[in-house]
Amino acid sequence: MVGSRATASALSPGQRSSIPAAAGIGLRFQHHRVVVDTRPEVPWLEVHTENYMGGGKAVAYLDAIRRDYPLSLHGVGLSLGSAEGIDDTHLERIHVAVQRFEPGLVSEHLAWNVADGNYLADLLPLPMTEEALDLFCRNVDRTQTYLKRRILIENPSSYLQFKHSSIPEWEFLAAVSQRTGCGILCDVNNIYVSACNHGWDATAYLDALPAEAVGEIHLAGHAVRHIDGEKVLRIDDHGSRVAPAVWALYALALERFGAVPTLIEWDTDVPALDVLLDEAAQAQVQLGRVQEGEAHAIAA
Amino acid sequence: MQSLRELQCAVRRSLVEHDDGAAAVHIVSSGLAPEQRLAVYRNTFDGNLANALRLSFPAVHRLVGAEFFEGAARIFAHQRPPCSAWLDEYGVEFPHFLAEFPQAASLPYLPDVARLEWAVTRALHAPDVAPLDAQRLAALDPADHERVRFIADPTISLVRAAYPADAIWRAVLAQDDAALGAIDLAMGTFTLLIERRVMGVEVTRLDERAWRFVEALVSGLPLGAALEVSPGPETASLLAEHIVAGRFVGFDLVERAYPSVALENAS
Repeated sequence: MVGSRATASALSPGQRSSIPAAAGIGLRFQHHRVVVDTRPEVPWLEVHTENYMGGGKAVAYLDAIRRDYPLSLHGVGLSLGSAEGIDDTHLERIHVAVQRFEPGLVSEHLAWNVADGNYLADLLPLPMTEEALDLFCRNVDRTQTYLKRRILIENPSSYLQFKHSSIPEWEFLAAVSQRTGCGILCDVNNIYVSACNHGWDATAYLDALPAEAVGEIHLAGHAVRHIDGEKVLRIDDHGSRVAPAVWALYALALERFGAVPTLIEWDTDVPALDVLLDEAAQAQVQLGRVQEGEAHAIAA
Repeated sequence: MQSLRELQCAVRRSLVEHDDGAAAVHIVSSGLAPEQRLAVYRNTFDGNLANALRLSFPAVHRLVGAEFFEGAARIFAHQRPPCSAWLDEYGVEFPHFLAEFPQAASLPYLPDVARLEWAVTRALHAPDVAPLDAQRLAALDPADHERVRFIADPTISLVRAAYPADAIWRAVLAQDDAALGAIDLAMGTFTLLIERRVMGVEVTRLDERAWRFVEALVSGLPLGAALEVSPGPETASLLAEHIVAGRFVGFDLVERAYPSVALENAS
């Protein structure tokens, strides 16, 4: 039963433990009913915060689902990287959702999507500069203070880099965590996509992240788009199964971070729930191996 | 070097106004041109907003077809980009845009259907608010009744349409071509109440007088003034019906001077 209401000071330990180090799935509207009706065996669920603001059917479904499953709220619209600061109204909407659903984890992105008051409906990359780092940390501080809890920040996938960037993205993310105390949501697919698009070393990216700060891992499928015939750009469309190369990188991530709550995301051409559960089961196999290894290490 | 703020405004101009110049000069071009890289984000911007509008205007989408809808959505997003990351709120101006959109002029009923769909979307996503406890009204001095200004349930909208938008909307969503073909498109006045009930969103046709009465109350006129807007013997039972149906979530009492001013302005 999840109805117990934690006090602000008691939230931190409880929050982490309520999302198990197991493989969950992203819950999308298509699956509300089947989850309520069949209560599938899945250790935890994550939703996009922006889809559960206001009232009505969607939030009613989530209220019901929340009673049986640990929940994570994953935001896409707070725009922590906006130079004009974060939108108070949106932060308050997130606060309302956090109070209503009492999630085990709350996350957002190393990205921005608001400029001149317009919401740009995508996760846009920041120039990796000291100016952007200072600003991003201020916005994360503000958010954590307002929500009275730690949040996780996810590395984005990206399709462009700015010429004046002076800090590698992995160092930038590590610095955000170190300065603000926020956790890291390590999206392994995004690392792979960005590494391919920009010629980075994906393994070195993983190695540069502070292991103790990684509170969650995301896995998803991506698309390979050919532009002008031969040029290849990998697009993080969350529209297919996890690619073999990403599974391999996930194994390295688990080796480095230990058993961390892992999520299967699928947002384009969302398949039947069974397909998502099958992907989660594959992640669970890898998690299980790591947990066995950890148990042996403790025993020895 | 320009500031982060200037850079973000330049990227906004690229995505929204299709003006790449100021952003492109700051983007690494190895392999792909900066414009091609920006186009990836613009495609997502266009696609996500078209998708948000499709979810809010499913009958309009079916009436005009996917290709036309996406084209219209792209132009709309360019003219009226969202001001909030809560995309359930995006599209309030889309019905008006369609009314002014020359390419949609051959479907004169389209803006009315869009207005109705926006009301339905609003009803779907409005916050859950507990209805007014009728005991609170019963406790009032009857002399104060005319000063009661109700707060409407946030799911409620009142739409006046020149075409039978409700019949078109139902037939299109049910994909009932026979029903659609049978609709008489002759201009009329269709006065609709849209609200969320326990089982879902309901669209009800009201007669003109009943619609004007509830419209006056929902728009915040005190009861005395609303009775002047729409006088009639049935108003007492209409009011009771609205209260029982939970269409109000609260009320306050306006100053006594207010109704008499409204009385002079009415009629």
